[in-house]
Amino acid sequence: MALFLAYDVANNPLNTNEWAFPVCEVLHILGFAIAIGTITMVDLRLLGIGMKKQSAADLVNDTRAWTLGGLALVLISGPLIFSSDPNLYLHNVSFRFKITMLVLAIIYNYTIHRWVALKKSPGALSAITGAISLALWISVVFGGIFIAFV
Amino acid sequence: MPPEFIQALQDMSLPTALRESALVFPIILSMHLMGMGLFGGMILMTDLRLLGIAMTKRPVSDVVNGLRPWKHLGLTLTATCGILLLWSKVALYYPNPFLRIKLALFGLIIIHAVVFRGVYRNVSELDRSPVIPGRAKLAAALSMVLWISVVTSGRWIGYWEPSKPETPTAQVN
Repeated sequence: MALFLAYDVANNPLNTNEWAFPVCEVLHILGFAIAIGTITMVDLRLLGIGMKKQSAADLVNDTRAWTLGGLALVLISGPLIFSSDPNLYLHNVSFRFKITMLVLAIIYNYTIHRWVALKKSPGALSAITGAISLALWISVVFGGIFIAFV
Repeated sequence: MPPEFIQALQDMSLPTALRESALVFPIILSMHLMGMGLFGGMILMTDLRLLGIAMTKRPVSDVVNGLRPWKHLGLTLTATCGILLLWSKVALYYPNPFLRIKLALFGLIIIHAVVFRGVYRNVSELDRSPVIPGRAKLAAALSMVLWISVVTSGRWIGYWEPSKPETPTAQVN
């Protein structure tokens, strides 16, 4: 608690080193490209419009490690960016929206999305599952960008 | 290019409307990033497959050909939004050295595409070869380096400020 109270954003390396902040942003972009890109591959298969040579289950298994790696990169660089000015972010309506959608998107990805994709015959559930996943991740990206515009 | 021309380009009605809208500018920017998620993810998986690191259980051609239309869609979305964003504030961005680095990197990417055209066109040949040839791996590694550099220089555009008359050194924040 004492540590928390003593925290002064002015001493955060992200605010004192001119390179630290943009480096975190670049890692954040790379991380979300890997994570969202690999999840999108599964979504396109679930929607029946892409990667049709593989089953959705194969794609989940093939991309599992990359999705997790991308998410790890995002979940390390993101909190670092947040630490540069916690008060600004906590009071930002777009940030709150983004984090809500992000939590939902991650939970969804590792529950319903995975169960449907790993099913032998997902059937009618398939397309709607992929569409919801895409909508969730797109809303995370929009929420992130709008932090700087609200 | 003459500064009057750059200014006239920025003052046209479409870029002016885009620049002055509180909503349209961030929407285009979000779509630029959304395109990056699609394009970046697809090109990284393509290159990682060629390097023999990702999706190794699948034939190279299935991965590269399957990802190709989505990679192109992502690139089209990112490029279209990027051009609109640049156009809307071109007088501001024109002197920015990181914009120039980014544009030079696009030049290198076009050269890369021409030089390694054979690798991406004839992926079914790679399926027949027991190991992925060095040339394909080189193409993939260079592609990843170039695209990561594009993202990096793009992000740095926002951190450069033109030097002011009273402060001769460039300020970067």
